[in-house]
Amino acid sequence: MSQPAIRLEKLSKHFGLKRAVDDVSFEVQEGNTYGLIGPNGAGKTTTFSMMCGYLFPTAGSIRILGADPFEPGALKGKVGVLPQDAILPPQWPVGALLTYFGQLSGLPNAEAEAKRVLERVQLPETWNLYANQLSHGMAKRVSMAQALMGSPPVIFLDEPTAGLDPKIAASVRSIIRELKGNHTVVVSSHNLQELEELCDASAILDKGKLVSAATMADLTGRLAEFRVQIAKGEVPLLEVKAQSGVKDARLEPNKVLCVTFDGQAVEPEEIITRVVGLLAQRNVLFLTVWLGKKLEEKVLQLT
Amino acid sequence: MQPRVTDLQEIGAVWRGETVRATRSGRVVVLLLLFMMFVGLSLTIVGFLSSQLSAKAEEQAKSAGVDLNDEKVKTQFNEGKKQFLSVVITDDEEMLDSLLALPVVLLFVFKLTLRFVPLLIALMGFDQMAGELGPKSIRFLVVRVKRTNLILGKFLSQVTIFAALLAVCTILMVVVARILNDDFAAKDVVIWTLRLLASSFVLAVAYLALTTLCSSIVKSGAVALVLNIMILFGIWALAFVGENFAFPGTVKADDGNLLALLRTESWAAYLQYFSVWHYGQDLLHPAPLRFAVAALVHLGFALVFLGLAQLALKKRDL
Repeated sequence: MSQPAIRLEKLSKHFGLKRAVDDVSFEVQEGNTYGLIGPNGAGKTTTFSMMCGYLFPTAGSIRILGADPFEPGALKGKVGVLPQDAILPPQWPVGALLTYFGQLSGLPNAEAEAKRVLERVQLPETWNLYANQLSHGMAKRVSMAQALMGSPPVIFLDEPTAGLDPKIAASVRSIIRELKGNHTVVVSSHNLQELEELCDASAILDKGKLVSAATMADLTGRLAEFRVQIAKGEVPLLEVKAQSGVKDARLEPNKVLCVTFDGQAVEPEEIITRVVGLLAQRNVLFLTVWLGKKLEEKVLQLT
Repeated sequence: MQPRVTDLQEIGAVWRGETVRATRSGRVVVLLLLFMMFVGLSLTIVGFLSSQLSAKAEEQAKSAGVDLNDEKVKTQFNEGKKQFLSVVITDDEEMLDSLLALPVVLLFVFKLTLRFVPLLIALMGFDQMAGELGPKSIRFLVVRVKRTNLILGKFLSQVTIFAALLAVCTILMVVVARILNDDFAAKDVVIWTLRLLASSFVLAVAYLALTTLCSSIVKSGAVALVLNIMILFGIWALAFVGENFAFPGTVKADDGNLLALLRTESWAAYLQYFSVWHYGQDLLHPAPLRFAVAALVHLGFALVFLGLAQLALKKRDL
């Protein structure tokens, strides 16, 4: 198993009497894309801000690539951050601003790097535009560009696609996918479908507490259950249950057949093929099949 | 690969970037115009009053049949000037002798400018940190630069911009004074330009650091500006109160001095030592030691203000 790039131990942050984050511990493996999930006020942004060294924890500890983020200069060159609510300084043209950020990071050719990352977020035309002339979506992508400067090993992205139109959001997701493997990425988002698609693992927070931290496969039960959307016909539940490796089968609302299986004993593709074949033999028509439950369902169940 | 960057390189990068940003914004031009307008207005008012007084003195001399070019009369005039300055500026003999070479207009305009400088500095730099803290743009910076280096870089950028503004306005002041006073010899022009620049620059360093401190402890630029101005009035009030009381036990010992007798003895006299403004007087002193001590005190205050600013930013959530 790879080494943890990020480790949070018993992390807490109190604002007066309010416990924004309470005794949270989890690890992010190197090269993983990790999701921070939770409803509003769950403590995602607070946890995120502590990992970036913006907020001091009330208790607990954080290690980013073995370094304490509150040690002066500890994160330099190691971390790129897209903060959610930080506004780009308006008095700078975008190109000059990114070049300045590159110089602060000590990059040898800051201007060339600024051009490269701006190309990567598909905004080279904004080079001479002032930050206050950018639309919300453009500003978000410029902020994303600065997080990618110098290809830092750890990248924190707080709500990277919030407020973006679907096409641009898809291009941002594609950038995040490209980072996978070479960078450790932490993504905080409300878009659970996006996180399910992008992340290897996630932490689910609620009211400041960690309610679950696991791989996406474990969270969604990908290795333990699948669902079939039935269109027409009578589902032979008893026959489905009798299939080897099947633990349970039940019909959920909206004609969804949920089958729980022993992931250790049987491969998902094998059990799905057998069950779907049985349904076809019994003239049951179906629309789609998906592994596990939707992340959204899991989150709603936990929070 | 992780780049190796020293603290000095970090400070230098912040300094360059912030100076470019400031010169790119219109604020520097507005501040320069404001500074020049203040100097211009002061020169006009003080110059007018001075010319009126000179005309009256010449008229009186003429009616009394006195030759103003007579050396004896010149000496008497200088004595009168010294007496006047001893009441309104300082009672230090050495300093009074030194100030005789300086046109009164220039001296008064310079003194007024010194009062204006801390306010100008507050206007210039009130949002240097607060402007990053409020909108949280500081979050883009602190993952790249140590918080302490960020403050130092920004402070040095403010020092650079202010030095440029100061140079322009001081030269303007001296040039106008030279035009108005034929007696202001070329050699004195050079010496006094340098002395005025040096003293106002050293004085400004402490106030620049104060502005950095105010801007580092609050998130709102407007609040930082108000706080800065309130502290300035506090500094001036401390100096005023302290300097207008006599130290306990000094009035009796000094009973020949009429001015000293007018003052009341009080421990409040010691308050002047807590005000950086109190030490500004000696920045024009001809004795190098007096100047050096005053300069060191100003730098000391600057270091204290910067240290507090560092502490505030280091310990705060961003």
